[in-house]
Formats: sequence, structure tokens, C-alpha cells
Amino acid sequence: MHRLWVVIRREFITKVNNKWFVIATVLGPLLMGVAIFLPAYLLTKSAGVRTVAVVDASSGGVGRQIADALDAAPMINSRYVQADLAAMKDLADSLAAEVGRKAVNGFLLITDETFTDGRAEYRGSNVSSQTDMAMLQRYVEQAVLTERLQRVGVNPRLVSEARIPVALKTINIRGGKTTDQSGQAAFILAYVMWFVLYVALIVYGQLVAGAVVEEKSSRIIEVLVSSLRPFQLLAGKVIGVGAVGLFQLVLWAVMAKVLIDKQAFFLHLFGIQLPGGQAFGLPSVPLATVAILLLYFVLGFFLYASMFAAIGAMSSSEADVRQAQQPVVMLIVIPALLAFGALNDPEGSIALILTLVPFSSPIAMPIRWSVSAVPGGQLALSVGLLLVTMLAVTWVAARIYRVGILMYGKRPGLRELVRWIGTR
Amino acid sequence: MSDPVVMLQGVTKRYAGHTAVQGLSLNVAQGAVYGLLGPNGAGKTTTMRMIMNIIAPDEGTVRVLGEPSSSRKLSPQVGYLPEERGLYPKMKVLDVLVFLAETKGIARRAARQRAAEWLDRLGLADWGLKKVNDLSKGMQQKVQFISTVLHGPALLILDEPFAGLDPVNSQVIKDTVLDLARKGATVLFSTHIMEHAEKLCDSICIIARGEKVVDGALAEVKRKHGGRQHIIVAVERGSESLDRVWADRSLVGKAGNYGQYAEVELADGADPQKLLTAVLAAGARISKFEVAEATLNQIFIDLVGPEAAHPTAQEGPAHA
Repeated sequence: MHRLWVVIRREFITKVNNKWFVIATVLGPLLMGVAIFLPAYLLTKSAGVRTVAVVDASSGGVGRQIADALDAAPMINSRYVQADLAAMKDLADSLAAEVGRKAVNGFLLITDETFTDGRAEYRGSNVSSQTDMAMLQRYVEQAVLTERLQRVGVNPRLVSEARIPVALKTINIRGGKTTDQSGQAAFILAYVMWFVLYVALIVYGQLVAGAVVEEKSSRIIEVLVSSLRPFQLLAGKVIGVGAVGLFQLVLWAVMAKVLIDKQAFFLHLFGIQLPGGQAFGLPSVPLATVAILLLYFVLGFFLYASMFAAIGAMSSSEADVRQAQQPVVMLIVIPALLAFGALNDPEGSIALILTLVPFSSPIAMPIRWSVSAVPGGQLALSVGLLLVTMLAVTWVAARIYRVGILMYGKRPGLRELVRWIGTR
Repeated sequence: MSDPVVMLQGVTKRYAGHTAVQGLSLNVAQGAVYGLLGPNGAGKTTTMRMIMNIIAPDEGTVRVLGEPSSSRKLSPQVGYLPEERGLYPKMKVLDVLVFLAETKGIARRAARQRAAEWLDRLGLADWGLKKVNDLSKGMQQKVQFISTVLHGPALLILDEPFAGLDPVNSQVIKDTVLDLARKGATVLFSTHIMEHAEKLCDSICIIARGEKVVDGALAEVKRKHGGRQHIIVAVERGSESLDRVWADRSLVGKAGNYGQYAEVELADGADPQKLLTAVLAAGARISKFEVAEATLNQIFIDLVGPEAAHPTAQEGPAHA
């Protein structure tokens, strides 16, 4: 037992006390931070005040209405230009030149058709911005609606009162119980868990294969097997790398929490203002979900890591490993993609199958659990199947490992692998 | 005397296509310095790996320190230097040594202290905090040797311990091995360089093509197989003129001619003085003329055959 601990400790310390680990650990949240803050930053930058010219060739007051509505809207200034249909083309050309000089962002062409058929035209440099265009469309629509209602004699005050937007709040229901989770938060949580499990299994699994082949290619393995049992070595590798993985994930979780809780401070630090004071919140994670996540991460990690270890043991060099591990990587990627798809219908039969099959359940079950209620029986069956498969795979991997670590040269074929497994 | 420390009985190991070791039996006595000698590919490494239970024999039994070698509980008492050297290249020298000692059950603190002592002893005191990668190959080999002896094993198993070392470091390791043997350790080492074996061993076993050729105490082997008197001649110049002398069957039974150096076995009843006269008469300038007992090298070649001693030389019919 003490020797297993010695192997685990060496693995952990050499992996953590390494510049690449430090770089990856710091860079991870940095990228995370960029992913969160950059959109906000770009929004405030590009979402400076837009100036839109409203060219009004209509006979009614629609153009004026629209210009007023745009002026009243936040972040948009309007410039009202009276025109007639004949002069419109020349005016458009000169305004286009102004857009070129960035004096205005674009201009709306309003005619009588806008009022009668709901047709208007916008030309500008920001037409590719989905948010800008949606906003513009909404204001034009509202202005036209207001104008129409006023023409048939509706009180303008009633019109503005009638224009209250509806905000749809979504609440997740699990197992007949209403949670305090919003639909969006549930999805974000499931997505984050999916991403973390998927990446962690692949990255740390490959780390195990690398750690095993490293001992082979540096030839220290012969000394090691003369003092340790192969299973001690294998278990030490897998647990050691797994601990490194958990450690890194915990570090990231802490960093993410600090980053998000103190986002106002960090944003202020970089001189960024959040649009509309909208804070990016962390979805609250129920304790049971954390427990399920950890349980499946550990079981799934052992399942895949022992396969990766066997791959490492049957290879002779890093390059060899990269080639040989492809099937195992696929064994993670494909179920992970399927599991992601199953998010749409967490109670369907595909989701059920994916959460029971041991090669997809490590990823599928935690995310299904987070978005819907999983019956206790299904959970127990899933854990049981995964546990049994994990033990069986570990047993086979250990037999391959035991023979493989002392074999150099060509990678074994399937027939030879079977012989290795059968060796006493 | 107590039981042999290492005992092999009828051990055979086959690989696909060839037999690496065939029916090998040997005993290494307590406190011996035992040389396992043989040409390249004779099965030395395979034998050592079977003793270390890294590979299992197909037939026969291996016992180490009185136990079946399959139990890992012996490992603290055994120090193994494999033929394929290797350390963790990116770890610090001291950390590697401490880790390897810990896998043998030595406590961390004690391991650290002993590692420092050994590094000092082998002239690597300044290198403990450097990465293994930063050391020269010779230094790495010394570090690996330290890892073999650090835990104070009763039995040392050294596979080609001097390969790749310069003469100075080779001597340092030889002295250290002999010192450990004097303090009671049993040493089993393999080599294909007979000069090493001759200086270190008290017992030897010569194997070739997986089979034992001869074994026993070195003095015994020499007496039995040494044969006739040997003359060692070192030639400063004019060695080509000596071919005629070596071919003279009234004087010379067998000659190993290495150009500047020759090992000569006298013919029956021949007088070394006559040989010296003949050599001088041939016009060669001599720097050394020594009447010696047969060297282990000569015995080895006699028993194994010259083609085995120089397996890369030529494939043609052997000439005696």
C-alpha cells in the first residue's frame, strides 16, 4: 500500500510541478475569462451610439414617428431628413458617402409604402450585426404600428401602454417538483458539465497513456517492475494522473467562481462596462448533481484511463501512442456527441440507452441528471453496469499492461493481445 | 556453507523461433562475486531477467535468497541494474534516487540522506539538484548504479555494469562493487569483457548460445582449462615478420595474433626462451614478453570458439 502511494505521489508531483501544468492551469481560466468578457467588451465598444439618418419621403407622419422612436431608444441617435421621391436617389448617394466617412452608420428610406405595405429600406455599414438589425426592425415596426393606430383614432397614450414587452421566464421542473433553476441555467449547467467531462476524459486519459509510454521509452520500467508489482504501477499511474486532473478542475472551478463573483471588479479593471448592468451569473448547482458528476467522472476516468494505460503499454514511443489511442478517443467522442444530442429529449429512449451503456453513461448520465429527474432504479442500474464494465476493462488492461511494458518494437496485433491477456 | 543465494535448475526460456536459454543450472554462493560470461546474444540478459522474475522461465526453477523469485517481498534485498539503463529524464537526480529507494521500502528521509552520501562518494555531489537530462551519459550511469545499491541490498544483480563507462569511471564502479562484496554482499554480474571478469570474479559461469559451457571457481576453471603455458608478446614494430614464427609448429601450438599484441600457446615441450630467440631473430622489436598462465579471454575463446567471441567478424568456417 505504501508503495502504491509512493508511485501516486511521484506521478502527481512531477505532473503538477511542471511548467506546462502551470501554463495550462493559468491559461485555462484566462481563455474562460476572455470568452466571458470579450463579448461584453466588444458590445460596449462597437455598441457605441449609432447614428441613423431617416430619409422621409412619405406623405404622412411615419418618418417623423420613426425618427422620434429611434431617438428615444438607448444607444441610437437619429437624423431626420425630409425628402421627396424624386430627390431620394441623389440623397441616398450623398448619405452613402457620409457612411463611408463614418459620419452616420446608415440610413433608412421611408416612403408611403412603409405605411401601407410595411416596406422600408436600410442601407448601412452595420447590416451584418444581427442585434442592430433586430433593434432597428423592432423600432420601425413599433413606429408604423403607432402611426396606424393613431390614424384610426386611438389615443397615443393607450398605444404606448399597449406596447409592453413580454419577458418569458423559464423554470425547470424535475420529477414533478418545481426547481428554482431557470431553463437557461439548467442548460448552461448541463453544457458546462458535458464540456468538462468530455475534455477531462480525453485530456487526462491521454496523459495516462503518455505517462506509461514515458517509462517504457526511458527504459526505467525494468527497474520499476523489479521492485513493484505491475498492478501497483498501473494503479499508481491512473490514480496519480486522475488526482492531477481533479486538482486542475478544482483550481479552475475556484478561479471561475472568483472571476464571475468579482466580474464587476475585473471589468472595471479593464475599463469595460457591462451593457445594461447585466451580470453573468453562475447557475446554482445542487449538491446531488455535484455528487453524481464526481461519481461518474471517477468511474469513467478509471474505465478510459485503464484503456489508455494499456495503449501506452503496447506502444514503444509517443508517436506510437498517438496513433494507437485513436480508437479509444473515438470511444469517448462518439458517445459524447450522442449524449449532447440527447439533451433535447432527456426523458426519451435514446437518452435512457445512452445513460445505461457504460461507454456513454459517464458523460450522458450527469447531464441527463442535471436537466431531468432520473428514476432511482435507472441510476442504480447505470452505476452498476458502469462499475462492472470498469472492473472488467481494468482487469484486461492490467494483463495487457503487465506483458506490454517489457515488449519493444512492433505493436501487437489483436491475436497477440489475446495471447497476452491469457498469459499466466 | 549456507544455501546458494541464487539457484537455477534446468531453466529454459524459448522465444518465438529460438531458444534463449537451454537447461541452465547454476549456483551463486553467499558472498561470491560471480561472473556470468558469454558472447553477445548468449542469453545473459534473459537469465538475469528470469532471476529478477521480470520474465518467467518456460521450464525449471529459479530460487533467490531461498525463495521462489516470484515474490516481490525480496525486492528490498536485491539491487538490479538492467542492461537497458533508464531514469526519469526530467526529474532531479536526488528525487529519482529517493523515489527508487522508496519503491524498495526505504523511508523518505533515510533515502534522501543515503542518496546524498552516495552522490558524494561517486563524485556527483554537485549534481543532485540537476535534472537527469542535464547529466552526461556516464554520469547518468553512475546515478543508475547508485539507485541499484542505495537500499543496501544483500544481492546485487548487475547486467553489463561497465558498458559505456570510461576507464576511470569503470574503475570507480569496480572498486565500489568489490567494497560492497567485502562488506558481505553477493554480486552476480554479466559481461562479455573477460578482463573485467578476471579482475573481479571469484566464480564464473560461461554460457554460449543459451547453454552452459563451464562454471565454477575462477581458479578452478583456469587450472582445468588453462592448458599449456601462454606467452604474451607485445610488438613495437615489425609484427608482420612474426607470422613465420607463429606458424612454426615446433614452437607454437596456437597463436592469437592481434597485430601489436599476440597471445601464444607453446607447443608441447617447447621452451619459452627459444620462442623469444626466434621472435628477436625475425627482426621484430619487442616491448613485452611475458610468460603467463592462460587468460580468461583465451580460455573463453578456446571453449566458446573464436566466432562466438567476435560474432561480427566473419561468417566463414572457423579457423583454430
